[in-house]
Formats: sequence, structure tokens, C-alpha cells
Amino acid sequence: MKKFSITNLKLVLAGVAMMGVVSSCEVTDLSPANLIPDDQAFATAARIESAVLGVYESAQRGFYLGAVQRGYPFGAANVEQGDMRGEDMYNDQLFYEVTYVGSYNPQTANNNGMWISLYRMINRANIVLENLDAAVANGVLTQAAADNYKGEMLFMRALAHHELLTHFSRPYSDNPSAPGVPYRTVAINDVPKVPIGEAVPRGTVAEGYQKILADLNEAEAKITAANTTFRARKGAVIALKTRIKIHMEDWAGVLTEYEKIKSAYAVTPDPITPFRGGTSTDNIFSFVNTAESNAGTNGALSAMYGNPSNGARGLVKISPLIWRASWWLQQDKRRTITTQNATGIFTNKYNNPTTLAEPNIIVRFAEVVLNAAEANARLGKLTEAVALLNVVRDRALGDPTLSFTVAGLGNADAVIDAIIRERRIEFLAEGRRWPDIHRLAGEGRMAGVPAKATSRSITNINFYNTDRAIPTDHAIPYADFRFIWPIPLEEIQTNATAPIAQNPGY
Amino acid sequence: MKKVLLGFALSFLTIVSVLAQSKTITGKVTSAEEPEGVPGASVVVKGTTMGTITNLDGTYSISVPENASTLVFSFVGYLTKEVTIGASTVINVTMDADVKLLNEVVVVGYGTQERREITGSVTSVNSEAIENLVAPSFESQLAGRAPGVQVTTPSGILGARPIIRIRGVNSITSGANPLIVIDGVPVVDSDRSAVNSSNPLANINPAEIESFEVLKDGSATAIFGSRAANGVILITTKRGSTGKAKVTYNTSMGINEEVERFELLTGDQFVEIANEKRANANQSPLANPGENTDWQDLIYRKGFTQQHNISISGGSEATKYFFGLGFTDQESPVRPNDLKRYSFRSNIDHSISKAVRLGTSISYSLTEINGLNNGANSLSGAIYNATRALPNVAIYDPANTAFDGYNVTANGATTGFGANLAGPDNNIPNIGFVLDNNIFRSRAHRVLGNVYGEVDIIAGLTARTQVGIDLTMADDFQSLDPRHGDGRGVNGSVYMAYNPAFRWNWQNTLNYQTVIADNHNLNVTVGAEYQYTKFYSFFGQGQNFSDNFYRQENLISGSYNNQFSGGGYVENGFDSYFSRFNYSFKGKYLASFSLRNDGISSLPEANRRGTFMGGSIGWRLSDEAFFNSELFSDVKLRASYAEVGNTEIGSFPYVGGFGPVLGGVGAGIGYSNVANNGLLWESSKKFNAGLDMTIGKVTVALDYFTNDIDGLILSAPTAPSLGIPGNSISQNVGAMTNSGLEARIASNVINKGKFSWNTDFNFTWLNNEVTALVQPLTSTYNRTEVGGPIAQLYGFKWAGVNSANGNPMYYSGQNIVQYNLVPGAIGWRAYDPANPGNVATTASGPTQEYLGNTLPKWQGGWSNSFTFGNFDAEIFIRYSGGNYIMNETLRGLLGQGFSNNHASILNRWTESGQVTDIPKLYSGQDANMFQTSASNSRFVEKGDFVRVQNIVIGYTVPATALQSAFGGAITNARFFAQVQNPFLFTQYSGLDPEANQYSGQLNFGVDWNVAPVIRTYSLGLNVGF
Repeated sequence: MKKFSITNLKLVLAGVAMMGVVSSCEVTDLSPANLIPDDQAFATAARIESAVLGVYESAQRGFYLGAVQRGYPFGAANVEQGDMRGEDMYNDQLFYEVTYVGSYNPQTANNNGMWISLYRMINRANIVLENLDAAVANGVLTQAAADNYKGEMLFMRALAHHELLTHFSRPYSDNPSAPGVPYRTVAINDVPKVPIGEAVPRGTVAEGYQKILADLNEAEAKITAANTTFRARKGAVIALKTRIKIHMEDWAGVLTEYEKIKSAYAVTPDPITPFRGGTSTDNIFSFVNTAESNAGTNGALSAMYGNPSNGARGLVKISPLIWRASWWLQQDKRRTITTQNATGIFTNKYNNPTTLAEPNIIVRFAEVVLNAAEANARLGKLTEAVALLNVVRDRALGDPTLSFTVAGLGNADAVIDAIIRERRIEFLAEGRRWPDIHRLAGEGRMAGVPAKATSRSITNINFYNTDRAIPTDHAIPYADFRFIWPIPLEEIQTNATAPIAQNPGY
Repeated sequence: MKKVLLGFALSFLTIVSVLAQSKTITGKVTSAEEPEGVPGASVVVKGTTMGTITNLDGTYSISVPENASTLVFSFVGYLTKEVTIGASTVINVTMDADVKLLNEVVVVGYGTQERREITGSVTSVNSEAIENLVAPSFESQLAGRAPGVQVTTPSGILGARPIIRIRGVNSITSGANPLIVIDGVPVVDSDRSAVNSSNPLANINPAEIESFEVLKDGSATAIFGSRAANGVILITTKRGSTGKAKVTYNTSMGINEEVERFELLTGDQFVEIANEKRANANQSPLANPGENTDWQDLIYRKGFTQQHNISISGGSEATKYFFGLGFTDQESPVRPNDLKRYSFRSNIDHSISKAVRLGTSISYSLTEINGLNNGANSLSGAIYNATRALPNVAIYDPANTAFDGYNVTANGATTGFGANLAGPDNNIPNIGFVLDNNIFRSRAHRVLGNVYGEVDIIAGLTARTQVGIDLTMADDFQSLDPRHGDGRGVNGSVYMAYNPAFRWNWQNTLNYQTVIADNHNLNVTVGAEYQYTKFYSFFGQGQNFSDNFYRQENLISGSYNNQFSGGGYVENGFDSYFSRFNYSFKGKYLASFSLRNDGISSLPEANRRGTFMGGSIGWRLSDEAFFNSELFSDVKLRASYAEVGNTEIGSFPYVGGFGPVLGGVGAGIGYSNVANNGLLWESSKKFNAGLDMTIGKVTVALDYFTNDIDGLILSAPTAPSLGIPGNSISQNVGAMTNSGLEARIASNVINKGKFSWNTDFNFTWLNNEVTALVQPLTSTYNRTEVGGPIAQLYGFKWAGVNSANGNPMYYSGQNIVQYNLVPGAIGWRAYDPANPGNVATTASGPTQEYLGNTLPKWQGGWSNSFTFGNFDAEIFIRYSGGNYIMNETLRGLLGQGFSNNHASILNRWTESGQVTDIPKLYSGQDANMFQTSASNSRFVEKGDFVRVQNIVIGYTVPATALQSAFGGAITNARFFAQVQNPFLFTQYSGLDPEANQYSGQLNFGVDWNVAPVIRTYSLGLNVGF
């Protein structure tokens, strides 16, 4: 056996070390496992579908205080904020105190969360919109598929901008020339696009509404796919148009849209049906929450609105103000979509406190019907108006003798008031109260945000079932600067080239 | 290692003197540490360049001129000794170990250097001073030990990681933690738990550590390249040395307690205050008299703590070993938080021949942390909850067996109401039930290891290769009770996760050392390094349990209705080709230069590689012939400059694209990052000038430094209405400067007979200024703007309470405005000092301004150690200041809801003319009364403090006593008693001025419901066998 010499060993070891020094060892050419690069995201039809679903996701699970939580903007928060700005739901805890008592400012989280998450959703929609034509040109998508996607994205963009206009701008019904919100139609997905985006001004409320309608009209023209509740289809587009036009006081326009879909949907015989599964004839469009994807225990409607005795958290109750209103008849079936405990009455529209899996309803046919009823009433067509009002109301009363009649109500104003009261009952705990206050205060029918049951004062069921005096507070006159939310301070501070104007008073 | 390397380095310093008319002197150099002979020691004829070095057995032979009078013996680590040449031709010398600051061997990265040769800024900390202290991790005990190194322990939760900043904050949104290198391997410094704060450095047993070297300036850190933008902490673990096996056993046991509690309202006081809040708002009373409960009793305890460490070390000439076993179990004063660590280390060095060496360092540890929810505004957060729970309500309700005898409402939604008409705000749960039943457990198995081989190819040229790994196998278990608390909404929840991290690191170096023409000392290192790290994880979660029984230990299949899973994967790589060139002329003129090319996977391909260089020079003034001072024995001037990048910029900040998003309608992809292919290396230009000197018995080190960071990779905020993911884009847009002064003064003040006193004082002054940004960076409490330091407190300026009506007042620009707390007339009103009661004029709300900087301006430590015969003592003091703290804890405790309050709320305004700093109470008006959306000068306080960090007293049993008692079985024994964190001197009104909710750079200086820091009393024993 040959003796192994140390000298040779040295050389061998040194050689190995030298090889290490001179040979390259590739460790820096890596790419992320969790990011599909920009240029590949629209490379296949399946990815485009995924990108579209990503827009739905951003609508349902946006950012609040820097994290995806609490169902901003349309997973739950639009309902909670819309209710807490009104008087029909009552705030029992700190969570929604700022919104309920009107103490928001340019730094408070709820109003800022809506702004941030809505624009995030809009940008995602714009990114998809800008990539569809190329996908068709590349043969990845058929024109029909691209058109359907385009319609869905335009609906999303319109829906989000309208939510912004109702919170951050004065109502169309008061002054269409008031400052609107930046209407974003260009995707911001590259560094050079930042100053282009920053340059977009607030514009006017009227411009905002015109752009919303333009988007919805195009969406209506593009979508050919059959109606389904959890994706934006033609029915959803038209239903949203009735809402937009009622805010614009375009009564005839509301009726035109109503005519288009009146036979496609129907109000359910039982008022609870739309809230159990969410695919009834009344459900036009909802964002889905599942056990795996929801607003969480700090945001989901079942958690926030549900009865603690049923495992929910119960931070928000029905207000005794509406519960004890004489015009909400005792035999109304909608009084049974509630539960109670010793401290008060809770809505039972959302009853999944464990899984939080429930659709967040964006628009129901009942709203379209009541929109049409109001449009008729505004146009003096009281018979048609009352007939439509009864479509929604009678099913809940179950007693034809209680039906409204034109004669019984008396005049147009009374019919309109009855329709608006009906909206409060029918859409209780669905976040629709604020948009109504917004437009009705703008036209002068309401004085502003009405007095609410004083925050954290309704501590006992006897506020509901006895004549115990209900303490009230938190009214905001229409002229008060607090009637609309402030633009986030962050928005103004981080726009390096053309910061938009703050709302007066903030 | 140090000795091995050094011995060989010096063996090439074969200096041969050629002289005529001489005599030859021979002898042997020995020392207490190396009684068989000190090899490589220098023997020089004083006043000449004639000299030699000792052989391997410590012997020498030198020819000296007839007129030579003195021989100078010197060697690294020993005091230089001068011996007069008499008639004798044999001179044997025993050298004394040098404990002075300047003559140690310092680990500097890919090698060692003598302290006297160093031209950069390096501070060494010997672990002896800290290894017996009770601490979950070593770095918390580095606080105050070295100038320029700031370490704060921001809470008393075991597992929470201390904040380490070397020479200030050197990044705005990228990582700001220093690089930690253990035995030459840069380690992963990432918290791998999702359920607890789980400090990765707590996996390392402090008892295994021999020494710390903190590299601070550019030249010292440059050899680690861009990873070293935030400084480097080099950790050397203990290794064996030749000799008989030495066994040591160290133990200590003691008690952890909270330094202080909050002073809250009693039940009776609460009833008065709570109802007054409501009455002032025209609301009905809710509170009724009941108990007087302090809920803090539920969350605090005296935590028992113990630690045990056994080591065996020793070796032959060829093979040296160190084995260590450690165990610690520490209970935090906050229930049920504790930390257990089991650790093992084996370090072996072996010389195959004179020229070939190899060795390994391997450690394994298992760290288990039981944590809790301590979220600052989590409903089940222990501190938040215990300070908000209603004090007029009982904790227990023995009849309520469904909730284990705790006072909980029948539906489990909240704590029982007691006599009150309502429960606590936000339905907070009974924290006693929560702490008993919810489990937050994280475990980490960690293996740190390296293997090296080293070959001397020709004289002076050594090749070395080293492969290191760092593997963390971390798993999480979180179990929430379905009955009450965080798990109630989902009917019970169990979450388990596996979160490993793995790194390998391969270093190859060639080192050449030589001496040219006697005086030119060259040391050249070239090398290549590759590093790859991956983090991956997955989790399973069950919710909605069939029975609470199945929730105790693990996920049990089939026991829950709703199941969730998830995971993630991130990797990054780094490589570098580097060189370092050190030159010294007679040890008098010193120069060092390094050049490296780094590549990092986190940057776009075109900009992935960066070339960075650094250099330093030094001048040992005291070696000059003209320098002749009896007082100054050693004076060295040094200066350095280097440029480095920063690798802690996130994994792929430049890549734009679509991330996975799970929406209700299905799994999709969502736009999640804006591409920036122009992203470049950020660059730090570090300058340092220093002076080291020894004046008599006093050693002084002074440094002045600047660090100009340019092209900072910043998550630059964008206007939210652009809808950009995260409202930010990673861009090279910022610039920042840190500058400062450091001083360290150490001395053996007294050394008389049995008594000696050593003192070591350090001081750091720091200035931070942001010099470029696109726009100010604003968060809830802080704002960073060009011209000021990072993360200043920003918010509303308090103008006091209007004594006429109790309204809170703030500045709105130059004017004072008051928030009118009158039902029906709420809102901002102008304030007229001439007529303070006038609330007729509406006014706009308060405006924001800067309220104080959050980074300490000055800080340091002062250690004094004493020995008297067999007794020893150390008192260690730490100080810091020049910063401001936002006391959010207090603001929250003055809340206007139906929750308990800080006792100072009793000073609230109640009648006209009353002067106080607490406004009239008014239910639900926190947001405006205290302007809760930003900082508020009402709650901003100075953070200056002096803390007595440790007092240690020890007694070493006399060797003779041990000999007679144990017959030599025990060679040494020392008993000690210590108290950590005994005293704090501060004007700050909160629990602790170092309490800090945030550890990032942009959010800082906010004390918000943080667990109080820990005071520890312990007794211990060190024994050697």
C-alpha cells in the first residue's frame, strides 16, 4: 500500500479550497415562489379568470390599518359603516363609536379604511381592464369572454366610486358641482404611472356620477353571461343603475332600468329567504364570505351584529328608535328576523357566528322595486308607486287588509315617506340607511343625520319593550362639515405632485 | 482557534539578527497559563531592532552587543517585560497575562487580529461579566457594555426580542438589526413563531459563549460586506485548550418579579368615576358598588427561574475539545409565560500535522416558550385586559362551574356584570379564564454547526475552507378555549404550524502573512463566500370543536368541523468575492484595505452585484522616537472609511406581480407588488476616526463616526387613492446620516493587597438626521421628515384643561381651541383667555406638530468590579436619555368608556376654577378629548433614566479549604448572589422608560400596554472539578 504523504494531502486540500475560491456557485439568481410576474399574469385564460377573482377578493377583503381584516370595503364594512352613520342600528361598543357619534377626523381608521380599500379594489379592476385587449389579440381570450370580464370590472369600478361619493362628497341632490372624488380609469402598476395618477383631480360630483353611468352602460352592453348572484352580471349592473339614478334624481331613468329587469327577479315570499344561502330570486348581487375567507371575528356581520347569546359578539344592536316606531307594525314578519337577550334586540339576518360564511348583500331586487316605487311617486304616478311598495310590504305583513292604498296615504309626499320608511325596515342592518340619509338630506327632505339612541346607553331590553325614555344624541345637521367624511390626511400628505383638497372644516 | 492561528502566524516571524561583537543569552519564556513555555514570544534588545522569537518550547537564544543593557520580552496577551542584562547569560522570564483593553486578540471576521494592530472600531465584551446572569438571551445583557451599542429590552415577556442598534438606526424601512456571526457563520436572525414572540437569539445558550466582538465602523465591518450595514456582533464560543480535562458546573436559581404595576381605581372609586362620565353626557348611570378587585393580581406572579450548565474541556497537543450541556427554565412574572431551553455544544479542534488542521463546532438547542396574548389592544391581551376589567366586579364565581368558577356571563360573551348594568367595554373576557385555558406554545430545535479545514501550503500561506449550517425547526401550537375569550367566536380553535429556516454558508479563504525586511508586516486575505437561506412554513388549523377535550395537546383529526391550512416559501442568496490587505510598518504605521464584490438575490439582475471598498490607517504615535512620555504608555490614532450596501431589504422588493388571494368566490390572484427594476444597492459611507491610549493605569478609547446612507431602499408611500398594493413602492429614495461620539475609559483604580477595584465606563452620543425623502413618512404616533431624526413623535399639542369649564384645550396653529364637552353643544370652540368660559365661537380642530425625538441622544454603561480577598462584587449601571416617550398606556387608562382607569383620573375637573390636567369626564369622547388618533403632548414625557442593572456579590472558597474538604476533587468554587434591575431613577411616569410597543424604525418610542420589565433575584454557584 502506498503511503499517503502529508505533502500530497496538503496539496489535495489546498486544491479543493482553491476550487471553491475560483469556481462560481450560483445562489443569487432566484425568483419569488409566491408572485406571478406582471408579464405572465394574463398569459392564460385561467390566469385571467384568477385575476378577475382577485378583484372580487379585494372588494371583500381590503386593507384596514395596514392589514387585510374587517371586511373592507364590501366584505362587511360597507354595511357596518352605512348603518352606523344612520339611526336605525345602535352602537353598543367602542368599535364603531367614531362613526356612530360622528367624531371621525382625517386620521381615524374607519373612514380611512374605506377610502384605502375602495381605491385598492379600483386599481385591481383597472389592471385587469388594461390587459384584456392584449389577451384577445394574443388569442388567449375570446372576445366574448373578454367582454364579460370587462363588464364585471366596470361594474366593480362604478360600485366602488359610488361608495366613495356617498361618503366623501356632498350629495348630487344638493349640488352636482360640489367636489367629487378622483375617478380612476388608469391602472397604476408601474413607477412612472404614479405622477399620472397623482394628477387626477377630485372633479365634481356630477362628473363622478357621469363616469359611473358611463361605466355601467358599457358594462350592460358587454355582459352576455347569464345572471348569477355572486358574479357581476347584467342584472347587477342594471340594479346598480337604478340606485345611481335615484341618487341623481333621474326618476324616469330609474323606471327605464327597472323595466329591464323586473321580470328577471322576484321578491321572496318570506323576507328571511335572501339571508339564508343568498341565492334566492331576490338576491341580485352579493360578495361571498366563506369560512376560509371572511371579515374575521372583528368585522364579520354575524360576529358584530349577532346576539351574544348565540355565540356572536353583539357590538351592534337594532336601535329601539326603529323598533318602537309605530309605523313598523307589530305583525310585520321582519320583526322576527331578530333575536333578543336581556340587553336588547339583535338582527338575525346574519347567523353564522362560528364560520362567518355568509354573503354580504350588495343589491337585492327589493331595493330595485322600492327604487322604482319612489321614482313613480316622485313622478306623481302614485298608483304604480303604492303597488310596488306593497310588493315588498305585503309579503311581510301577511294580511291584505293592511295594504297601503293611495287614498289611505293621501298624497305624493306621504307615499314617498312610506317608501322611505319601508326601506328602513326592509334594509335594516344592510347598510342602506346612510346612502338614503345622504341623498334625502341633500334634497332637503331630511335635516341631516337624525338623532340616534345615545351610544352605549341601551343596556336593557326594557328600552325596547317598555316606554322607557330612549336617550338620544349624535345628530349632525346637513350643513355641518361632519356630514361627509374627511379625505384621509395620508392621501393629501403622500401625493407628492398634486394633493387633492380636503373637505371643508377638517 | 485564536491561539492556533496566531501561533502559526507568528512562527513565520523568524527574525535573525546579524551582529558582531556580541554575547549570546539563552533562556526560556514561560507563564502561568503556559508553564511549559510560551512559543513565538518576541525577544528584542531594547533600543535596537535586534531580536528573535522563542521556539515552540519557549526557549530562545539571542546574540546581544556588549553594550546592551536590557531585553524586552513581549507577546500578544502578555504584559511586555523588560529585564536588565547582567552578567548572566541565562535569562528565564515568567510573563504576566495582560488584562488591559488594548492587547487582546480580536476576532475580526475571517481571522483574528491583535488589538494593537486594529485600525477600525471594534469593541470586545468578555462573557465572564454576563454569563451568570439570568436572562433569556445573551444580547439583553450586552446593554451598556460597549459604546455605540444600544440594546433595549422593551417588555417583560420572555421571548420578546431586545432591540439592538449599533451606532444608531441605519435604515428607514429595511432591516436595522446587526449581523450576528457565531464562530464565523452568519446566523439566521428571524423570529420563526407565529404565535409568540420567539427571539431567535434565545436559542443560544449564553454560557457557551467565550466572547463578543462588536464591529462598528466601515473598515471593521467591510469584510462582511453588505450584510454588515447595521454593524456586526461576532460571537466566539468556548473551545478547549491543551491540558487536563476541566469540568465546570454553574447554576443559579431565583425569582422573577414585575418591576411595578399600574395604579388603578378601586371598585368604589370606579363607580363614582364611571357614573360621572355618563352623567356629564346626560346618560344613565351603569355602575353600582360591589367588590374592590385588582385584576392585576391575576396576571402577575413570582416566577421561579433556574439555570444549570456543565462543561468539560481540555485536550492534548493535537486535539482539543469543549463539551457543554445547559438547561434553563425561566418563568416570567406575567402568567403563564415561561421559557425553557435545553442545549448542547461540542467544539473540537484537531491538528493532523503541523500544517493541516480541522475542527468542528456543533450546537443543538431546544427552546420552548409558553406565551400569551399580550396585544396592546387585544381584548384578551393580558395587560390591556387586566387594566380595563371592571374593579367592582369579582374575578371568581365558584357556582359558575361551566366556566371553571370564573365570573363570566352565562353566554360566555364577556366578564360577569356584577352589580353593574353593563359589562366592560368591548365585552372583554375574564382574563383569569383566558390565561388558564388558552395555550400559546412555540418550540424551536436549532442546530448551528460548522466544519473547517485549514492547510499551510507554504510558509505564511494558509488555505481554509469552512462550511456552516444554521437549521431552525420551529413549531407552533395555539389552542383557544371555545367557551370564553378569543376562541369563543369560532367555537374553539387549534392552530399548529411548522416554520423551518435553513441556511448554509461556505467560505473559502487564502491567507498570506509575511514580514519583509524585518519591518514590513503583510497580511493578505482573499476569499469567496456563498450563502443560501430558505424559509418555509405550513400550518393546519381546526375550528368549531366537537368537544373541548380534544384541544389540549395537538390537533386531533376528526375533532373539529372547519379546517384550514396554508403555507409559504421564501429564499434568498448572497455571494461575495473579497480581499483584505493589512500592512504594518514596525507596528507603528498601520494600513488596511478591503475590496469586495457582493451579489444578492433581492435585487434585479442588472443591479444585482455591487462593488464596495474600505480602508483604514493607524499611527502608533507612542512608538515614534520623538514620543517620550512616562505618562502615556500607548497612543494610537486611527481613521477609516468604507462603503457598504445593505442586504436586509426583504426578499424580492423589486419584483412586480400577482400574489395568491383567497376570496369568497374562489382562489384568485391579486396585484400585490409594483415592479421596480431600477432598484439599486443602497450605499452607506462610513467614516470613523479614533484614538486609543493608555495613560498610566487608565485606558481610553475615543471614536468619532459618521455614517451617510444614500439611496435608501424605502417602502416609499404612495397616495392611497392610487390603489398601489400596500400603498408603497420600494424605491431608492432616502438619505440619512448618523454621527456620534463614543468613549470608553477603563482602569484598575486600586490594586492594594487584597483589595482591587476595576472600573469601566462608556459613553455614546448619537445624532440621527434624515436628509432626503420624497415626502414625510407618517404613522399614528410618529413622523419622519427631512431635517429631523427618524420617527419623531408627531401629534397634537395640549394646552391644558380650561379651568372655567373643564374642557380639554389644544393648539390649532397659534390659537388655543377647546373641545366643548356639553351635551348638544359638543364640538371645537375658540378659547378666549380673557373670557375662558365663553364657548360661543366655533373653531376648527387642533393641528399637529412635532412633539419630540424618540431615539436616545446619549447612553452608556458603567461597570465597577471589586475584589477583596475571596470576595468579589460588581455593580453595573446603565443610563440613557435625550429621547421622548409617548405614554399611550396612560392615555388609554384615562379612557372615557366603561372601563377601569388609572388612579390619576380622580384629579378630573369637577368645578369651575379648578386647575387640573384631567378634563371634565364625558362618556365616549376619548377620540376628541385626548386626540387618540395621533401622539399628544399631554402624554409625551422625557425618557431619561439611570438604571442599576446588576449588583453581584460573590465569594470564592479558598483553595486550601477545598483541598482539605474534598481532597482536590473540587478545584474551585464560588458562591454568588445577584439582583438584576434593582433600581431605576427616572422622571418618566410609566412603568419603565424602556418599555416600547414597537421595534421598527418608523414607529418608535410608544409605551403602549407593554408588560413591565423583569427584576430578578438569584443565588448561584460555580464549581470547577
